[in-house]
Amino acid sequence: MIEFEALANCASSGACIVNQVTSGLIIGMLLFLVASGLTLIFGVLNIINFAHGSFYMMGAYVAFTAYALTGNYFIAAIFGAIGAGLLGVFFERFIISRVYGQNVLLQLLVCYAFILIMDDVVKLVWGAEYLAMGIPDEFRLAPIRLFGGFIPPLYIFLIITAVVIGFGAMLLIAKTRFGSIVRAIAENPSMVGALGIRVPLYLALLFAIGCALAGVAGALAAPVRSLTPGMGLGILVESFIVTVIGGMGSIPGAFFAALILGLTRAVGSIGFPLFVDGAMFMMMALVLIFKPTGLLGGGGVKR
Amino acid sequence: MLEINGLVKKFGGVTATNDVSMSFAEGSLSAVIGPNGAGKTTLFNQITGHLLPDQGEILLNGENLVGLKPREIVAKGLGRAFQVASIFPTFSVLDALMSSVSAHEMKSEKLFQPFDNKVVRERAEQLLAVLGLESVGHVASSKISHGDQKVLDIGLALALKPRVLLLDEPTAGMGPDERWQMVRTVQRLWEDNNLTLIFIEHDMDIVFEIAQHIHVLRYGALIASGNADEIRTNEEVIEAYLGRELEEDA
Amino acid sequence: MSMFRNFSKEILWVLGAFLAIVFVGLFVDHPWPKDFLTSLFAFGLLAMSLNLLIGFAGMVSFGHAAYFAMGGYCFGLLLQSTSFTGSLGPYSVPLAIILAVFGTGVYAAAVGAICARLNEIYFAFLTLAFQMFLYSVILSWVDLTGGDQGLMGGIPRPLFLGIDLSQALDRYVFCAGLFCLCILFLRIIDKSAFGQSLRMIRDNQERAEFLGVRTYRIKVICFTIAGMIASVGGIILALFTSGAYPEWAFWAQSGEAIFMIMLGGSTVFVGPILGAVLLRLINDVVQMYTSHNELVTGIVILLVVLGLRRGILDFVIDKIKDRREAKFLADLEAKKEDQ
Ligand SMILES: Nc1ncnc2c1ncn2[C@@H]1O[C@H](COP(=O)(O)OP(=O)(O)OP(=O)(O)O)[C@@H](O)[C@H]1O
Ligand SMILES: [Mg+2]
Repeated sequence: MIEFEALANCASSGACIVNQVTSGLIIGMLLFLVASGLTLIFGVLNIINFAHGSFYMMGAYVAFTAYALTGNYFIAAIFGAIGAGLLGVFFERFIISRVYGQNVLLQLLVCYAFILIMDDVVKLVWGAEYLAMGIPDEFRLAPIRLFGGFIPPLYIFLIITAVVIGFGAMLLIAKTRFGSIVRAIAENPSMVGALGIRVPLYLALLFAIGCALAGVAGALAAPVRSLTPGMGLGILVESFIVTVIGGMGSIPGAFFAALILGLTRAVGSIGFPLFVDGAMFMMMALVLIFKPTGLLGGGGVKR
Repeated sequence: MLEINGLVKKFGGVTATNDVSMSFAEGSLSAVIGPNGAGKTTLFNQITGHLLPDQGEILLNGENLVGLKPREIVAKGLGRAFQVASIFPTFSVLDALMSSVSAHEMKSEKLFQPFDNKVVRERAEQLLAVLGLESVGHVASSKISHGDQKVLDIGLALALKPRVLLLDEPTAGMGPDERWQMVRTVQRLWEDNNLTLIFIEHDMDIVFEIAQHIHVLRYGALIASGNADEIRTNEEVIEAYLGRELEEDA
Repeated sequence: MSMFRNFSKEILWVLGAFLAIVFVGLFVDHPWPKDFLTSLFAFGLLAMSLNLLIGFAGMVSFGHAAYFAMGGYCFGLLLQSTSFTGSLGPYSVPLAIILAVFGTGVYAAAVGAICARLNEIYFAFLTLAFQMFLYSVILSWVDLTGGDQGLMGGIPRPLFLGIDLSQALDRYVFCAGLFCLCILFLRIIDKSAFGQSLRMIRDNQERAEFLGVRTYRIKVICFTIAGMIASVGGIILALFTSGAYPEWAFWAQSGEAIFMIMLGGSTVFVGPILGAVLLRLINDVVQMYTSHNELVTGIVILLVVLGLRRGILDFVIDKIKDRREAKFLADLEAKKEDQ
C-alpha cells in the first residue's frame, strides 16, 4: 500500500521536498480560506452552508472572465471575491434565511437545490468543458531557487495572500466593531435586535464575507486548477474535514488542520496515491472519536 | 433511602453545588428551595446522572450512583420531571404515556414486537386517568395547555414505576388556581404510589403546607434543613431568603 | 410464530401489493410499466430506508446513497468473480445478495457508530463526507470497480430455484419480491416498539434517555438497518441494469433521495414512495423539454421547500389532524362552559 521507495527517493532530493512542501502549502492554504468562510458562517448562524463550494466555483469562473477581459490577475481575484460575496447576499436573503432555525432537512434541500442550479448556470454561461486560466502575465517570472528546487513566484504569492486574508477575516471578527456586533448576534439575536441594530443586515454581510472567502480562494486557485462545473463539491468536503479536525468555529484551528491536510495530500500523492482520501477521512474519524470538538474547537458537536 | 454526601460541582468560577449533604427518608415528601441560581436544578442533574459531580457521593439504598448514566439510574427506580416540561411534541398524550410504559417494560429495542399492545395500552390508560388527562388523551402533546404538559412530564416519569421521584418546579409558570390543582395532584400521587418525593418550589405557601422536610440552598451551599416551623424561624434563612416575605406576612 | 400473528395485517397488505405488482407484470405486455416499476423498486427502497433515518429517528443523513451503491457494487463484483460463481453454482445469486447486504451492513454499522453521537448538522455533513469517500474509492480503484466506467461487461446471473434472472418477467417478479419483503420489514419496524423508540429519539432524545431508552445503540442499529435496506435497492438496480455505476454513490443521488422524502412526506409511511414516483415523473417531463434538467429540478425543489415546507402527504395529514383537533378542543370548551 505505501510506496516507501518513492518516499525515500523524494526525501533524499531537495528539489522533490521543496516541490511537495510548496504544493502541500498551496493546497492547504486555499483550503484554509474556504474553510474559514465555512467556519465563520457556522460560528454565528449555526448553519453549515452546504452550498459553500458553489461560491468557490463562482469565484473561480468570475475571475476567469475578469482576467480574460482585463488581463490583470489582481483585479480578477478581487472580482472573484466580490462576485461570490454578492451571490452570497442573494443566497442568504432569498433562500437560506427563510429556513433559519428550521429543520436541517429543509436547510439541506435548499442548499442542494442551489448547488444544482449554480452548476447548471455555469454550464450555460461558461460551457461544460474544462477551462484553464493559465499562469497570469504578472507571474511569468523566473522561479526562485531553494535547496535545489524551483518555486514559481505565483505559488509564493498564493500562499501568502491566502494566509493574510484568512487571518484578516479572523481579526475582523475578533477586533472590529462589526465583529463584536456579529458575535453578540451569535449569542443573543433578539437582544441585539432590541438595541436597534439591524440584525438581518449584519447576517447578510457576514454571509457575504464567508462566501467571499470561498470566492477569493476559487479566484486564487484559478491559475493552478482547471475549472469545471461541479468543482465546488470536492473542496466543500475537504474544507468540512478541515473544520471538523480544526474545530468548528475556530479559524486558527482551520489553519492548522488545513496545513496538516495539505501536507498529507502532498506527501500522499507520492507515498500512498490510492489512499490519500482514505488518510484524510481516517484523520477526521480519529478526531471525531477522540476529540469530537476538534483540535482547537470549543463545543457544540454532540447533540 | 436517598443520601447525598459532600457533593461539589463547579462550572468554571461558579460553585453551583458547594459541599452539600442531605438525606431523604423512604416515603417522605421533601422540598428543596432557594433563590434563583442557588443550584437546585444542578443538584437534581447530578442525582439523575445528567451531570457528573466533581466530588462527593450519591447513595440510593447504600449504592453509589455517581458515574452511572441517566438511564442506568432510571432503571434503579429514580424518576424525574423537568423544570421546562420535557415531552414528545408530536405524540398524542396517550402515545407518549404508552411509549414510556413500553420503555419501562424493556421493549425499546424489540424489532418484532408491536408497540401497541393490550398490556401497554391498559397501563397507559390507567395513568391517563390517574393524571386526570383523559379528556386530552388523543391531542398532540404540543397542543395541550402548559399545565397539562407539566402533568404529562410527571406522568412520563411515573410510568417507570419509580420509588424516588424528583420534580423540578412542578408549578413553574402556572396561575394560582392551576398551581394548587397541581400541588394536590402531586400530593395525591405521592400518597397513592408510596413514593419518596422531592420537589423544587419557589412558592413558600406551597412548601410550608405540604413538605415534611425542607432543604434550603443558597449559592450552592446548604444553609438549613428541617420541617416547616424550623425553616420559618431559622435566622439564616430569614436573612438570606425569606426576610422580606416574612416581614410582609407579619 | 407470534410475529406472524402480531403483524398479520401488515403481512396481508404487503402480500396483496405483491400480487397486484405480479399481476401487472403478467398481463401488461408493454415493457414500460415493468421497467418503471423495477426502477421504482430500487429508488423507492433508497428513499424508504432513508426515511427510517430522517422521518423516524430524525437523523438527517446526506450520504445514504453510499449504501445503495455499495449493495450494487458488492453484488455485481461477487457475481463477476468466476471463482465465486464457479464454486457456488446455483447458490451464487442468493448468496451474493446475502453477502452484499450484510457486507454493507457492517460498513454502515461502522460509519453509524462514528456518526450517531453527533448533533444534526455534523451528522448530515459527516455522512456526506463518508459517501464522498466511498465515491472516491470507486473512482480511483479502477482495477476493481472499473472507475468512472462502472462495472462493465454485464453481471452473470446463474439460474437458481428455476428462476432465470436474465428473463425480463422472472427478474421483474424477483425484484418485486425483494422490494415487498423490505417494505414489509420497514412496516413491521414502523409498528414495533423499536420504531416507537426511534420516534421518541426524534422528538426528544434527552427525554428518551431519561426514560431508559438506549438512544445511541438504537441509532446505530437504525443506521445499519437503513444501510442494509438501501443496499437491497442497489442490488435491484444492479440486476436491472446488469451493471453498477459510480453515479449511484455520488452525493447528488443522496440529495435526490432526500428530496423524494420531502416531496412525498416523511411522516406518512408510503410518503417516500410517492415522492420517488413524483420525482421520476418530474425528471421525465423536464427531460422532454430541456437538457438543463438540474436547473429546473433545483428550482422545483426551491419552490416546494420554500412554498410547502413539508411533503405532500404530510400536508394532507396535518390538515386532517388540525381539523380534528380543533373540533375536539372546541367541543371540550363547549362542555366546560355548559358546566
Ligand atoms: N451547564 C452549566 N454550565 C455552566 N453554568 C451552569 C450550568 N448549569 C447551571 N449553571 C450555573 O449554576 C448555577 C446554579 O444553576 P441552577 O440552574 O442549578 O439554579 P436553580 O437553583 O435551579 O435556579 P432556578 O430557580 O432559576 O431554576 C447558576 O449560577 C447557573 O448559571
Ligand atoms: Mg432550576
